[in-house]
Amino acid sequence: MNWVGMWTLTKREVGRFFSVYRQTVLPGLITTTLYILIFGFTLQKRITEIDGFPEISYTLFILPGLIMMNTLTNASSNSSSSMLQMKLLQQLPDILCAPLSSFEISMAYIIGGAVRGFVNGVLVLLLGILLVEMPVVSPIQALVFLFIVSWAFSSMGLFLGQMADSWDKLATMQNFFLTPLSFLGGIFYSVQMLPNWAQTLSFINPIYYMINGIRYTILGVSDSPPEISFIMAIIMTILFTCAAVLLMKSGKKIKS
Amino acid sequence: MTLPAICIKDLEKSYNGTRALDGVSLEIGDGQFFGLLGPNGAGKTTTINILSGLVLKDRGKTEVFGMDTVKDYRTTRSKIGIAAQELPQDWFFPIETLLYFQAGYYGITRKKAEPNVERLLKRLGLTGKKEARLRQLSGGMKRRYQLAKALVHDPKIVILDEPTAGVDVEFRHDMWKLFRELHGDGKTILLTTHYIEEAEMLCEDIGIIDEGKIIARGKPKDLTKQSGTAGITIQLTGWDGTMKSAVNEFTYTIDGNRLHFTVEDPEESLPEIINFLSKKGCHIQSIKTEKTSLEDVFLSLTGRGIKENTGS
Repeated sequence: MNWVGMWTLTKREVGRFFSVYRQTVLPGLITTTLYILIFGFTLQKRITEIDGFPEISYTLFILPGLIMMNTLTNASSNSSSSMLQMKLLQQLPDILCAPLSSFEISMAYIIGGAVRGFVNGVLVLLLGILLVEMPVVSPIQALVFLFIVSWAFSSMGLFLGQMADSWDKLATMQNFFLTPLSFLGGIFYSVQMLPNWAQTLSFINPIYYMINGIRYTILGVSDSPPEISFIMAIIMTILFTCAAVLLMKSGKKIKS
Repeated sequence: MTLPAICIKDLEKSYNGTRALDGVSLEIGDGQFFGLLGPNGAGKTTTINILSGLVLKDRGKTEVFGMDTVKDYRTTRSKIGIAAQELPQDWFFPIETLLYFQAGYYGITRKKAEPNVERLLKRLGLTGKKEARLRQLSGGMKRRYQLAKALVHDPKIVILDEPTAGVDVEFRHDMWKLFRELHGDGKTILLTTHYIEEAEMLCEDIGIIDEGKIIARGKPKDLTKQSGTAGITIQLTGWDGTMKSAVNEFTYTIDGNRLHFTVEDPEESLPEIINFLSKKGCHIQSIKTEKTSLEDVFLSLTGRGIKENTGS
């Protein structure tokens, strides 16, 4: 193993997004604050009860979903945009010509994205604690779950970043799949409020399990059993990590 | 037996059905200054990209000091430093940090890399720019950075892919000096260029590549000799037709009082011809030598000039 090489690339990946924190860290906090102000404080007066969770206020109900949305969008966009950017700006040859294995390169990118997703998720969680005194029922479990999901979506981002050869194609994945699936995963509502057919559709949306998993660790309530959420997150982590590493190893799309 | 620094055997590569390399074989000795000369799109960059691990080959073998560049990639890549033709962009980090990153990819910690990074920044005139981002550098400065990056892990083989493309004369001469220094330090240099002068001046050995094939190989002098089109044209007075038999040892043509000698090496033959004509009482009015360049060699081999191709 080229530990120094892998560590250097990881540092570069983490340093890259921290150096533009106004673009990579602050937006999540601002958006969440706006959600809390607009959705929470205004709509909360009208939505007195979420089906199935009478004891939870609407603001508290949506916060875990917002944490998860921030986590997974940041994790996936970090590794995907970094990979595509390096391809388009002729930086990738520096890494591909170095004595780094496909596994080491993949790990560095995935860790970079996972750190960004995790940091964003934790900051939004802290914002929730600060602004609305959000209780965190199982803090360790919440942090572990956030990290697993960050890793899974960072791996997915790396896979997509390798496949994409333009910003347009990458944005298509983000705008047409990730964002709709996040919104339809139950950030703003409980699936129990949906008709049966829509409930069934939600069950095949993997992000539904991510949102309910974090909701359980923070609020102690969820639409789906927490064990299923953890298992889904672990399966996605393994699948996407393998896909990203194997694609890197094949050299397709980056070593043609 | 000393292993060659680079050994390429029957290398083939196609891009979307278009053949870029068609059985390239090449051996470059340890410490040699080798030039790979050819027009744009001939296969120079593809060859070196396969060698350095940037492009996957279709067939063939590439070795560095006897080690396979695919199986033993960690060792072979550590021995190669490549200054790519394409200039990179980076918005995030100062160039000094980028050089430390580059060293890190090769397993060299910041502390160990520090003396070499400082030396390279100084030698390449980048010390004053070390806090600058790449986008703030001029084209020439970016080329210098490319070189610093290629040398940061002190490789045994330095690959220079069109290293002086689009730079001014002063910079080009400074780079040539640096390349000679690197060669003097015992490094093997593989230079790809389509600048004839650059290849003729710097390289001990030349491979001419065209349409994915090596079409000639040898020392620049030997290649130009083989072409045999060099000449010396002498305009003189006092030429007497009776002298013809005396100059029969040369290949020449006469046009009035102008004699054109066809020689392999004008520099070698000129003193002999002048001496002979002077002895015969001829007065030389003017001398014009037409030395064969590698451009002529390429022309005689392919029927077109090196710079005629403008493809990528």
